[in-house]
Amino acid sequence: MPQCNHCLLEFPDREAVHDTIDGQERVFCCKGCSGIHRLIHQEGLDAFYERRKWNETGIAAFLFNKEPDIKPFAEHVTESGDVREIDLYVEGIRCASCVWLNEKILLKTEGVEYARVNYATHRAKIRWDPDRTGLPQILKRILSIGYIPKPFSESEQLRVQQAETRDLLVRLGTAGFLSSQLMIYSIALYAGYFQGIDPGTKRLLELIAMLLTVPVLFYSGMPFIRSTLNGFRHLRFTMDSLIIIGAGSAFIYSIYEIFSGGEVYFDTSAMIITLILLGRYIEAAAKGKASETVKRLLELSPKTAVKLVRNQETGVNERETVQITSLSKGDLVEVKPGEKIPLDGTVIAGESESDESLLTGESRPIAKTPGTEVIGASMNLYGTLTIEVTRTEKDTVLAGIIRAVEDAQAHKPRIQALADRVVGIFVPAILLIALVTILSYLARGSSLHQSLMTGVSVLVIACPCSLGLATPLAVLIFTTMASSRGILIRNGEVIENTARLGHIIFDKTGTITRGKPLLKEVIIADHSLARDHLLSVAASVECMSEHSIGHAICEAAIPAFPVTGFKAFPGKGVEGHAAGKQILIGNRVLMQEKGIDMTALGPLHGSVGDFEGQGDTVIFMGWDGAVRAFLVISDIIRDEAPEAVDSAKAMNCTVAIVSGDTDITTRSIASQVGITETLSGTSPVGKRDYIAGIQREKHGVMMVGDGINDAPAITEASVGIAMGRGTEIAIESADAVLIRNDLRLIPYFIALSRKTYTVIKQNIFWAFFYNIAAIPVAVSGVLHPIIAAGAMAASSLFVVTNSLRIRKQRGNRE
Amino acid sequence: MWTIGFLIFLSIVLGIGAWLFFIWSVKSGQYDDIEGPKHRMLDDEDEK
Repeated sequence: MPQCNHCLLEFPDREAVHDTIDGQERVFCCKGCSGIHRLIHQEGLDAFYERRKWNETGIAAFLFNKEPDIKPFAEHVTESGDVREIDLYVEGIRCASCVWLNEKILLKTEGVEYARVNYATHRAKIRWDPDRTGLPQILKRILSIGYIPKPFSESEQLRVQQAETRDLLVRLGTAGFLSSQLMIYSIALYAGYFQGIDPGTKRLLELIAMLLTVPVLFYSGMPFIRSTLNGFRHLRFTMDSLIIIGAGSAFIYSIYEIFSGGEVYFDTSAMIITLILLGRYIEAAAKGKASETVKRLLELSPKTAVKLVRNQETGVNERETVQITSLSKGDLVEVKPGEKIPLDGTVIAGESESDESLLTGESRPIAKTPGTEVIGASMNLYGTLTIEVTRTEKDTVLAGIIRAVEDAQAHKPRIQALADRVVGIFVPAILLIALVTILSYLARGSSLHQSLMTGVSVLVIACPCSLGLATPLAVLIFTTMASSRGILIRNGEVIENTARLGHIIFDKTGTITRGKPLLKEVIIADHSLARDHLLSVAASVECMSEHSIGHAICEAAIPAFPVTGFKAFPGKGVEGHAAGKQILIGNRVLMQEKGIDMTALGPLHGSVGDFEGQGDTVIFMGWDGAVRAFLVISDIIRDEAPEAVDSAKAMNCTVAIVSGDTDITTRSIASQVGITETLSGTSPVGKRDYIAGIQREKHGVMMVGDGINDAPAITEASVGIAMGRGTEIAIESADAVLIRNDLRLIPYFIALSRKTYTVIKQNIFWAFFYNIAAIPVAVSGVLHPIIAAGAMAASSLFVVTNSLRIRKQRGNRE
Repeated sequence: MWTIGFLIFLSIVLGIGAWLFFIWSVKSGQYDDIEGPKHRMLDDEDEK
């Protein structure tokens, strides 16, 4: 079967599309591939075909070839009658077509009776007949079309949250329905006030209005009533108490007025509850969406390890997949390349490197040979290791860091939302005004009944309906704006803290930098050589290597030469025959051992020293007894980092870097992005204490990080931000997550928070304003329901339109 | 008077009908995935 020259697809001969390019016969699977190939060739971009790496696109290919391990899924299967059901998470779903494909493929599987994938949560519910098919077949079916099924269990917390949101929706819907009915009768009563109404009809309408208000107050408003009673017991005045004081006094006042022939305020009473519930629902829905996304970012894979168990009969070690928690000291564990090391231990066999940057901040991979220690949760990079577990559970390095996070969480002060602080003062003030009104009416000789009614009317008008919308609406627009840019807000309270920020502290490895070594410079000593040629030779040799530096060079150029006699010297470098020469690439030690003349570098010796002084890794390349060039490898900064730092400084924030790496490397990176303040060689707890120190001086601190070692600091900071590619723990401790790992989002986030905070302050002011303005009317004893309704409408309208202004905030790139 | 009474009764009965319908839709999970259905309605269901 021929293979397409563009997409490498194999296809039947009769479908072949032939084309001749530069006299060479090419074959393609379709017109499209032929057209693209011609275009690429015309533009001189043939290098595409050498450069592309098929194994790097999308989800790693080896995952699909694996036989699915059903053990972690088995516990999630539920049986009902003669069918089985499972809820699982499908990784790789990006759009509606993915949902469609998964559903259709599953439904066409023999024995599957029901398959439905939730577009928002990427969760699939599958029901099947166990006599006709089984779990392994279903999992294989999903794998075969390129998606990865993962076991999924709803956390207790999430289930409670969902139940609460649903309950809130029912209460809101009920209140909304009744309030709209109620408004019809209220308008009729308003009309009656102006045009005159027969007292019998008026009473009928008022009674119906009362009946409609009862469920709004006592069913929909029940959560508020409960929390108000709790609050009163401790003399605490919250938003809920204000609502109940307002709605309750309006209700009681109105019942009294039905029988004494006055005007009723049932509409005010019901509307307050409805609008506040709307605000609460908006809040809950936004929160639910955020926690859903966070869960998706967190690793869903089961926490298992491959344990080696000696078989007593054969004496051979057998592999067994076990839960990490079941491992104990002295157990042998096998860790494949690309896997996480499960627990702290000592290497028994195998050679590799491990990436500990997420735990320690050290940017360079660390060589692991038998006898060296490894840290749990670090990444094994290139070779298979056998490890003897030396520490488990609470004694591991990781557990120590988690303890530090919990510590920080426990003493983190919760800032009361602005609206609640205002209400705390407002409620006693209003009660006082009402009391003074009653007393002064009594003093002037009015009847007890009239004095009381006037006092209560103060309470009726004082409660601002739109207060419940003032914050949630602004927060909703804020979170929508932020998430459309790739910032996930986990916690709405972050707005106020961010708006008052004074310091921004960045982690170095993985936050300011990319977090993996890359080729930074090539400096040629032998000037007869062309840079591209030299780099291509180096890449050809290094692509055979499994070392991280090898990868850095291999990625930087096209390996165009066949290599023979490749040999790696651990910790020193590599050797191989390519382009007609015996090429050596490695450190100084290797060059000396192989008798390479280093004097050929001449004056370049100085610049080697300069690079090493900056904390970069310098490796040499030589052949035929002389050094020809050196290559500089380092963890380079993100392209947008300097711009982001500049914008942050322009916003009057002090910027600093903290890192677990050495002082030289940290300073060099800091100077590249324009930061002068650095703190290096810090432990995870050290980072946390540094932030606590600044916060003690009453400055708000934002911590941006990605690693496990940043988690305590992220929790401690008044605003914690995690990079989207960061570790589970960092994301869980953060208030916001940068899903696109773009540092320019930080200044945008600050600007958006400042704007939103201003809008919230305005909203709260104007929500109160109309009602406070009406208090004198109430005190003078001439309050009418239309005034209350007018204040309600005016303030709500203001809050809504003012909140929409947040959408005008632009990023620094537009 | 009788007409008003009847109309009020009618509007409340209709309203309660709509309200029960709403409660049913929440309880049966229709608000759990509000993104999916708009895509799903474009699918062909012919081959089932």
